Amino acid sequence: MSQPNRVASVALEPEKEARVAPAAPGAPPVIELRGLSVRLGKREVLRDVTCSFSGRTIGLLGPNGAGKSTLINTLLGFWPASAGSARVFGSDIRSEAKKIRGLIGYMPENDAFISNMSAVSFIRLMAELSGLPPEMALERAHEALFYVGLGEARYRKLGTYSLGMKQLAKLAQAIAHGPKLLILDEPTNGLDPPARQRMIRLVREMRDSRQMHIVLCSHLLRDVEETCEEVVILKQGRVVHYSNLEDERRSNRRFLELELQGDTGLFMEAVETLGCECAPGALNRLKLVLAENVEIADIYRIAAEQNVQLRRLNFRRDTLEDIFLKAMENSDGRL
Amino acid sequence: MAVYKRSYRGYAGTLTPAWSRFLVLYRFARRTQSRSKVQTVFFVLCFFFPLLCLLGIYANSHLSAFAFLGRRAGPFLEIDGSFFLVYLSVQSALSFILTAFIGPGLVSPDLANGALTLYLCRPLSRTEYVLGKLSVLVITLSWITWVPGLVLFFVQGSLSGWQWMSDNLWLANAILWGSFVWILLLAMLSLALSAWVKWRIAAGALLLATFFVGAGFAQAVNAVLRTQQGYLLDISRLVSIIWQNLLRQQSHQPLPVPEAWIAVLILYALCLFLLMRKVKAAEVIR
Amino acid sequence: MSNQIVFDNVSKFYGDVLGVNRVNLSIPPGITSLVGPNGSGKTTLMNLMTGLIRPSRGHIRILDMSPDQPEELFRVVGYCSQFDALPKGLSGYEFIYSYLKLFGHDAEACDELAWRAIDLVGLREAAHRKAAAYSKGMRQRIRLAQSLAHNPRVLILDEPLNGLDPLVRAETIALFRSLAKQGRHVLLSSHVLHEVDIISDQVILMSGGYVIAEGNIQGVRSEIDDQPMQILIRCNRPSDLASRVFKEDHVVEVRVHNDRRGLLVKTSNPDRFYLLMNKVALDGINIESVAPVDDDVNSVYEYLIGTEEVTR
Repeated sequence: MSQPNRVASVALEPEKEARVAPAAPGAPPVIELRGLSVRLGKREVLRDVTCSFSGRTIGLLGPNGAGKSTLINTLLGFWPASAGSARVFGSDIRSEAKKIRGLIGYMPENDAFISNMSAVSFIRLMAELSGLPPEMALERAHEALFYVGLGEARYRKLGTYSLGMKQLAKLAQAIAHGPKLLILDEPTNGLDPPARQRMIRLVREMRDSRQMHIVLCSHLLRDVEETCEEVVILKQGRVVHYSNLEDERRSNRRFLELELQGDTGLFMEAVETLGCECAPGALNRLKLVLAENVEIADIYRIAAEQNVQLRRLNFRRDTLEDIFLKAMENSDGRL
Repeated sequence: MAVYKRSYRGYAGTLTPAWSRFLVLYRFARRTQSRSKVQTVFFVLCFFFPLLCLLGIYANSHLSAFAFLGRRAGPFLEIDGSFFLVYLSVQSALSFILTAFIGPGLVSPDLANGALTLYLCRPLSRTEYVLGKLSVLVITLSWITWVPGLVLFFVQGSLSGWQWMSDNLWLANAILWGSFVWILLLAMLSLALSAWVKWRIAAGALLLATFFVGAGFAQAVNAVLRTQQGYLLDISRLVSIIWQNLLRQQSHQPLPVPEAWIAVLILYALCLFLLMRKVKAAEVIR
Repeated sequence: MSNQIVFDNVSKFYGDVLGVNRVNLSIPPGITSLVGPNGSGKTTLMNLMTGLIRPSRGHIRILDMSPDQPEELFRVVGYCSQFDALPKGLSGYEFIYSYLKLFGHDAEACDELAWRAIDLVGLREAAHRKAAAYSKGMRQRIRLAQSLAHNPRVLILDEPLNGLDPLVRAETIALFRSLAKQGRHVLLSSHVLHEVDIISDQVILMSGGYVIAEGNIQGVRSEIDDQPMQILIRCNRPSDLASRVFKEDHVVEVRVHNDRRGLLVKTSNPDRFYLLMNKVALDGINIESVAPVDDDVNSVYEYLIGTEEVTR
C-alpha cells in the first residue's frame, strides 16, 4: 500500500505567493454594505452591517445563526433589505438585483443538483440561464468541468455522483459563466482529505488568476486561512471584526508554538525563568510568548542543556483562531 | 514547443437577450422529453384525429370525388361549432394524457435536490421560471390543439370561400381561446402538483384524480343538496360549458356561463398560489 | 472486565461488495480517530461495533460484551450517526427525554439526565424549540447530546464535528477530552486531519475496506520504515545549515526549498537529528521554524492512502 520515495507536499505557505493587488483604483468596491439590516419574519437577522470589500478573497466567518447565509441570500436578492443599502460592483441590490446576479457565481452549502441530468447538461443549462449563447455554454461547460477535474464522469447522471464529485459539479456551475464574484459556502463540506486539498488548490488558483473576487464562507478556519486575504466575522447579525490576514500574520512575531520530545515540565520551568510566558497544549505541544530580549537561539540553548528535542517550532499559525476567539469574546465580555 | 497551462478564464463574450431566457427551460425540457420514445410516438399519434378531420373537410367539399360511388351524396359534415366541439373534446382528452406524461416531471426534480436555488441565483426571476415551465406544456399542447384546429378552419375557409371565413371568424376565435382555457388549466394544475408531490407517478395519478374525483363529488353534492352548484367541482364540465358558449352551441347548461368562467379563473389563481409557495429560493427557518 | 474494544478477524460483505476485510483491532480507552477516504469502511466499522450490522466473519467484543445483545450493549455504548435526521414534531428536550425513557429510568431521572446532556452541548435556550427548526450545527449538537445522555462508557461518533462553527468545535473537542480522561472510549471519524492530529490519542487509518495503520500517530510514522523522515527547516542561511547537517551520516538527502529560505532534510534517525539541531542553532544560524513534514496524520495519510483522483 505504501508508495516508496514519495515526497509529501509541503504544508507551509510558500513565501513567493503572487502579490495580489486589490481592485483597480477608482473602481467601485466589490461589496459595499451601509447600515444593512434584514428582517426575516419577526427576527432581525442582520443589524446595521457596514463593511466594504475590495480585495481578491474575503472569508466570512461566524457562529451558527450569525447571519452569514442571510447576508449571502440578501446579496443574491432572495431577501429584501429592511434598512440600509448594499451595493455589489456599484449596483444597488434593491434596484439592480438581476444585473448583480448575472455577475455572481454561487456555490451553495446544501445539495444542489438535478439527479437525472448529466453534469454536462446541467452546467449547460445553468450557463445558458446566465445568458450564454448555446454554443458558448457548451464550450464553457466542458471547460469548467475540465478545470475542476471531472473527467469522463461528466457524462454520467448527477444522481450517481459521490459527495466529492457533487461538490466539484457545484463549483463548475458557479464558474461556467465567468462571474466576477464567486460566493462559496462551505466548499469542503464532507470532503475527504485529498478532495479537500483539491478544492483548496482550485480556490487558490482561481484567486491567483485575478479574474474574479471570492467570498468564502466556512467553519473550518484552516480553509479560510489558506485561501483568504481578508476576514470579516459576524456575530448575532453584526460585524464584530474585520481585518487583513497578511497584516495580522506579520505582526505575530513574538508567539511561538513548539512540539517537544523530552521532559516538558523542566523545559517550561527553564523557559519561564527567562521571563517568557508559556502554556502547555495537547500532546507535548507548547505555546510560548517570547519576552523582550529573548530569541529563538535562547530557547535552543535550553533545549541543548536539557537534551530535549524540539520536533516542531514555528511562529503562531493559528492567527485566525486567535482572531476568532477574541472577536467572540469581545462583544459580550465573556466567551 | 508550446506548453498550454490549464487555468481559469473569465467570460467576456455576448449574452443572450434577457427576455428570452425562460425559453431555455423549454428547450432543455424538450431535449429530455424527446429521449422518451413512448412520448414521441404518442405525440405523433395526437395528430391522427386532426388529420382525419382534414380528410373529412376535404371530402366534404369535393363530393364529386365520390360520384364514382354512384350516390348523390350531399355534404355530410356541417363544419360549424359542433364539429369543432367534437374536435376540441378529442384533442383535449389526448392533451390530458400528454400532460400526464410531461407535467409531473417538470418542477419536482428541481425541488428534490435543491437545484431551484441555482436557478434563482441567476438573472432569472421566479416569474420567468414559472413562465418557462409553463411554456413547456403550453407550446407542446398548442401543437395538438389550436394549431391544427386553426389549420382546419383555414382549410375549410379556403375551400368555402371568403364569405364563409368572414361569417365564421368567431369560430377561429373560439378554437383559439377554448384551447387556451384548457391548456392553461392543465399546465397550471400539473405544475402545481409537480411542485408539491415528489413522486412523478403520484403526481400523474393526482392529476387524474382532480378530474375524476371532482366529477364524482360534483354528482354527490348535486344529489345531496339537490342543486346544480355541485358542478363547480367538476372541472371538465366547467370547461365544456365555456366551450359550448364560445362555440355558440345552444344547449341547456346546468350552470350560467359567467359562473363557469369565474370558477376556472379561481382555479388558475389557486394553482398559481400553490406553485409560487414552493418556488422559493430560500426557506425561512423559524 | 476488559477495557478494550476488540475486533477479531472481522469481515463484512454486502453481497459482493466489500465493507471491511480481515480487521484485527484492539482499541484502548481514550480518543481514537478513524480516518480514511469516503467509502473506506469507517461507517461499516462503526455499524459493526454497535451491532447495527452483523459481521460476515469474525467476532467483535465491546468491553467483553457482544454487539448482538443490544439491550446490554446500548446501556454502555452511545452512537451518533453521520446522517442529519431527527424525528419530526419533537423539541430538542423531548427528543432526548424520550430516548432516555427507553432505558427504563423514571421521569425525574430522565429529566435530570436530559438537561445534563443538553447543558453539556450548550443548547439550554433552544431545548424547547422544535428540533426540525434547528440550524445544522444545533442539530448536530442535539444528536451528540442524545448519544451521551445515558452516560455511556463507549462513544461512537460518525463525523461529530460536521457543520459546527469554530467556537463550538473547540468546546466539543474539550468535551471529548474530558470524557476520555475519565477512562471512556471515544471513537470518532473525521476528515479534518489537523484536528485529528491535535486531539487523538490513537489513529486508525482505513482504505478500501482494510485497516492499513493504527496506533499513536508518531508510532505509526516511525513504522513506515522504508521512508526516512522529512523535516523542513526555515532559516536565514540555508546553505550553511545544509553543509553543517550533511556531514552527519544519518542525513540521506538535503534539498534547498523552492523559496530559497528553507531546507528540506531527509534523515533516517530523527532523534539524533533533533539533538543536532540544538547545537546548530547556537552556531549563529537563525532558525525560524522547524516542521516535520510528514509526522502528522496528513502526511501519513498521503503516504499510505495517497491523493487518489476523486473522480473514480
